[in-house]
Amino acid sequence: MPQAAVRLERVTKEFGSLRAVSELDLEIPSGSIYGLLGPNGSGKTTTIRMIMGILGPDTGKVILFGGDPGETRRRKVGYLPEERGLYKKMKVLEQLIFLARIRGVDGREASDRAKEWLERLGLADRAEKKVEDLSKGMQQKIQFIGTVLHEPELLILDEPFSGLDPINQDLLEQIVKEFHAKGTTILFSTHLMDQAERLCERVCLISRSKKVLDGELRALKRAESDGIVAVDFEGSDRWVHGPEVLRAQPVEGGVRIELHKGADPQPLLERAVAAGARITRFQVVEPRLHEIFVRHAGPGAAADAGTPLLAQN
Amino acid sequence: MRTVFVIVAREYLQRVRTKSFIISTIAAPILMLALLLIPAWMGARSAISEREIAVLDRTGVLADGVIPRLESAGFRIERIEPGTAAEDSLEIRLEEKDLAGALYLDQASLDRGHVLWRGDEGPSTLRGISIQQAVTGTALTNLLGTTEQGPAIAALLAGGELEIQTLSEDDRDSMDRAAGMAAAFIGAFFLYMVLLIYGTMVLRAVLEEKTGRIAEVMLSSVRPWQLMLGKVMGVGAVGLTQLGVWIGSILLLFGLGIPAMIPFLPEIPMADQINQFLPELGVFAFFVVCFLLGYFLYASLFAAVGAMCSSEEEAQQMQVPVVMLVVVPIVFVMPIIEDPGSTLAVVLSQIPFFAPILMFARVAAGGAAVWEAAISVVGMVLALFATAWVAGRIYRVGILMQGKRPTLPELWRWVREG
Repeated sequence: MPQAAVRLERVTKEFGSLRAVSELDLEIPSGSIYGLLGPNGSGKTTTIRMIMGILGPDTGKVILFGGDPGETRRRKVGYLPEERGLYKKMKVLEQLIFLARIRGVDGREASDRAKEWLERLGLADRAEKKVEDLSKGMQQKIQFIGTVLHEPELLILDEPFSGLDPINQDLLEQIVKEFHAKGTTILFSTHLMDQAERLCERVCLISRSKKVLDGELRALKRAESDGIVAVDFEGSDRWVHGPEVLRAQPVEGGVRIELHKGADPQPLLERAVAAGARITRFQVVEPRLHEIFVRHAGPGAAADAGTPLLAQN
Repeated sequence: MRTVFVIVAREYLQRVRTKSFIISTIAAPILMLALLLIPAWMGARSAISEREIAVLDRTGVLADGVIPRLESAGFRIERIEPGTAAEDSLEIRLEEKDLAGALYLDQASLDRGHVLWRGDEGPSTLRGISIQQAVTGTALTNLLGTTEQGPAIAALLAGGELEIQTLSEDDRDSMDRAAGMAAAFIGAFFLYMVLLIYGTMVLRAVLEEKTGRIAEVMLSSVRPWQLMLGKVMGVGAVGLTQLGVWIGSILLLFGLGIPAMIPFLPEIPMADQINQFLPELGVFAFFVVCFLLGYFLYASLFAAVGAMCSSEEEAQQMQVPVVMLVVVPIVFVMPIIEDPGSTLAVVLSQIPFFAPILMFARVAAGGAAVWEAAISVVGMVLALFATAWVAGRIYRVGILMQGKRPTLPELWRWVREG
């Protein structure tokens, strides 16, 4: 296996009495698309800030490209923070050149690359506009360009799709995939499970400052596959609720039922037939990332429940 | 260092290119020039266009005194001898508005300072007063000349004279002293203004970065100290540019402007007299030292305040203690210029945060020894290092904090752990 782009060893960070990250071990393999998932307030942003060396860990070790997150190593990272920020009064092109220059790119080179990117994202005619005169979505794209202009080896994207319309979301996804194909390591932080499921090869789920799951997405799904039943049916749905059912979600053509851990789906089927439902499909399926997430980070996942799940953005 | 340079360059160019900067930089000296030159120009113009005033003296003794007095007050006078053809044609000339007016001096003028003005309109209030003073002054001199104690009474009435003998070696003449005080006051006030203006500019710059959430993007690539230093130096360079333009235009004004005006304004003091009011080179150099040290001292404080706040309103409140540090010396500046050797002056001017303004005022007023100035500079440099260290730590933590502002114990923790 190639050297890890990022490694965290038993990292803990506290703010006063609040423990933001607790004994976190993490390894992001070079070239992978890695999802850092978790509800808001679970410690994702703090973890990222420690990877970027913006914050230092209280205990434990953060290793970036095999060493301390110092200036030269951090220059190989492109970081798109969740809270976007640009100099509002600055012109777009100037701003992009500035962002590239503080990361060591030569001014002329920066200008050429910025123009190419603006062209690609359909913003070429805005190069001389002030940032404050652009729409939120355009600012978002400018910020993304600023993140990749210095051709980073590691791309850290904190909620990259928020605020973008579907067309631009697809465009961004496409670009992220291109970077992946070129060998760039990508660390995603998000609570949008669909996106993570589509893009990520590996995920790490943290909840209440602790890691609860970590591994290859496909393996995780296999390991978690018991207990989800997809049923397509017509007729009565009175049979859906029963002792073995944890929760049920109506979907097109039927229902998706999550069973308690270790529960047998057989009684459910018997009940459905007895209730006179006309079953067209009864299948034990792989869980979606969303369900794994809820199972492990939801209110019922731990005894010390309390963190609201999937809180508003 | 290259990174800091890129940040400084951005800060500088963004500010220097704004309209408000260009306007305030260029408009201020032009306004100053206008304030100085327009009244002089207007005066010169009105003096030329002013019609003459006729003076007809029936007493035979007043005109010799009144006419020079009036002329030195700016009047143009034509003397009319009584009983001549000139007196006969006087009324016609007044009607034809050939003259602005005529003054009739007679026995009543000698007795009680009464004087008659005839003209198509009356004199302005100020000119009226000048006329009365010329007449009463002459009549009084005339009256006193007839008595033995006349000269004594005249001298007493003129206000007497204060002769000053100082026991110290300092034998600077009063002109020098006045020039020093003027330089001290203007310079101190100027320092006060620029420290406040550029200090709050730094605060705003930091706040913009924090509230605009730019700090996190920046800090993922640069160190907090690089960002803070870049801000402070960038705004400082803007300040120096503005100062340079202003000082340059002052020098231009005294070097070219006023000498050029002299042919038109014979009554204005000669240029070399004005040049006496320009500070010496040493004082000037010390001003630049005070500006630079004071600026960095206050800029780091303002930067720390900016990093603590999350909104403009909060910053308004939080900056008050820092602003007070600048205001205190300006409150004491007058007494200290008056008596730069007093204990109050010596003590206050050695406090590093007051020194930029107060030590400059003492040096310019000629009341501080070289070693005193040297000690204050050392004090300011040490204070600058300490302040920058503390401010840097507060900045480092504060710039990423959002939400409520820190309490004092929290601030202390930032500094300790930062």
